[in-house]
Amino acid sequence: MLRLLARRLMSNVPESTVYGGPKPQSPGRRVTLTHLRQKHRRGEPITVVTAYDYPSAAHVDSSGVDVLLVGDSAAMVIHGHDTTLPISLDDMLAHCRAVARGASRPLLVGDLPFGSYESSASEAVNSAVRMLKEGGMDAIKLEGGAPSRISAAKAIVEAGIAVMGHVGLTPQAISVLGGFRPQGKTVASAVKVVETALALQEAGCFSIVLECVPAPVAAAATAALQIPTIGIGAGPFCSGQVLVYHDLLGMFQHPHHAKVTPKFCKQYAHVGDVISKALSQYKEEVENRSFPSAVYTPYKISEADVDGFSNELQKMGLNEAASAAAAAAAGKNEETAG
Amino acid sequence: MLRLLARRLMSNVPESTVYGGPKPQSPGRRVTLTHLRQKHRRGEPITVVTAYDYPSAAHVDSSGVDVLLVGDSAAMVIHGHDTTLPISLDDMLAHCRAVARGASRPLLVGDLPFGSYESSASEAVNSAVRMLKEGGMDAIKLEGGAPSRISAAKAIVEAGIAVMGHVGLTPQAISVLGGFRPQGKTVASAVKVVETALALQEAGCFSIVLECVPAPVAAAATAALQIPTIGIGAGPFCSGQGYNEEENVLELKIICERDPSTRCS
Repeated sequence: MLRLLARRLMSNVPESTVYGGPKPQSPGRRVTLTHLRQKHRRGEPITVVTAYDYPSAAHVDSSGVDVLLVGDSAAMVIHGHDTTLPISLDDMLAHCRAVARGASRPLLVGDLPFGSYESSASEAVNSAVRMLKEGGMDAIKLEGGAPSRISAAKAIVEAGIAVMGHVGLTPQAISVLGGFRPQGKTVASAVKVVETALALQEAGCFSIVLECVPAPVAAAATAALQIPTIGIGAGPFCSGQVLVYHDLLGMFQHPHHAKVTPKFCKQYAHVGDVISKALSQYKEEVENRSFPSAVYTPYKISEADVDGFSNELQKMGLNEAASAAAAAAAGKNEETAG
Repeated sequence: MLRLLARRLMSNVPESTVYGGPKPQSPGRRVTLTHLRQKHRRGEPITVVTAYDYPSAAHVDSSGVDVLLVGDSAAMVIHGHDTTLPISLDDMLAHCRAVARGASRPLLVGDLPFGSYESSASEAVNSAVRMLKEGGMDAIKLEGGAPSRISAAKAIVEAGIAVMGHVGLTPQAISVLGGFRPQGKTVASAVKVVETALALQEAGCFSIVLECVPAPVAAAATAALQIPTIGIGAGPFCSGQGYNEEENVLELKIICERDPSTRCS
């Protein structure tokens, strides 16, 4: 009884840690392409959010969002780069694995990062395979609508891997786009958005992300397609929406960062503020020595052992240490008595 | 004029992105061992928090905390493992780089992960070098007080890399410890904590983390050492405190959930 009690009072016993991850999934629990198809048929909007690690995945899991995208936006929001280009496939796979440990319910989609799929259809298939095999993902996303990309998408689908397409602003292409520029703002560009979406559907994609295009263009693409569209900065006429975790949570609260929170992103919380306040308060309490108080100092040594310890220290010539131990023990007794 | 206006109305033009990271550091800005020594001499508590990526590093940077530790606790709080054992040095280096981009002010300490430094002093030096060279860290931390660890710490210091020691509960050793068990609860164990701390000081460590030991044991170690102690679950008598930021944030979430009247968003 005492031992059970002692175990429960001990923090971080591995058997009771939550980091073992969610319970083994039952086959009926994970969102699948079938579920998404049914939602789309019923006209119910599909929800997508990004996540990049265990805790954010667990949060997304609890929220009931349909699809969790491990985005290459990790290059920016996790790694602090200016673009999505620097992140490698190995980096992405580490993020995917962490996310897979944290989320048992949403459909998991892994972004193929810049440089992992463009040079040939077989490179694309290999990278997609790794996403599922090593990364624990259920599907992959790739950007763009050039003929080589359409072929790559087709090859990946033929390998048995579900593909989410992505047209409009494709951040991996900022080199040719000349920046993070909205697309579909001219007739030619708008037609291209619809055409490439259709081609990707033809290649077997199960859905298409439309990024940063005017609402009418997104509406047209959505109507033209049988598969669902997932919008980001593309207005309300898509079959679903996606946002970046850090942006929607208001993670970046420093005025310096606030400048680049995208205008299309609604901030549903100001988590950055909460974090900053908590860190400041922690710093203050450590500096004025109010943390840790007795309630946060749970580990005890018996009085008899403190005496023995003090004696040993004196024998070692550490008299200051001996009195510090005795004083600390005495102080604690005062605290509990008073 | 119109074009300038159009540019400002466009979101996410790279030229104005902040992900380029903090401004180049001026030599006077980064917290150094000298600053910590001065704080310790003046009896001012030293603050330490962990962070593992760019945004958390930026938050810690803004808060004015002295030391940012890129902990191998990332294995648990970021990667979702049950212990700190699975994370590799390459994984840690990715975390370190992201943190280095986000924090220009605090002293950056990188944790040597399980398996990257135990087999020889030269392995330890190589891993520590990578932490600074590839990871952008200012110093490293390693766990334990066995003779081979003391030698490793000494070799790393001799290579010119500042070392933070870590005694008490050393999570990488849960295999021999039998779990995440507080240490120093018997006379022999308590004496061992103080002895290993002293030996690590002798080897050249600039500070020692004391994890999950009773307050009197931490008080004794702190009094016996000339270098500062950083406590975690070790009571109020250390020279400073360390904290896991992710746990802090998770704890806030739990508080919010318990009290529906709290407006957390």
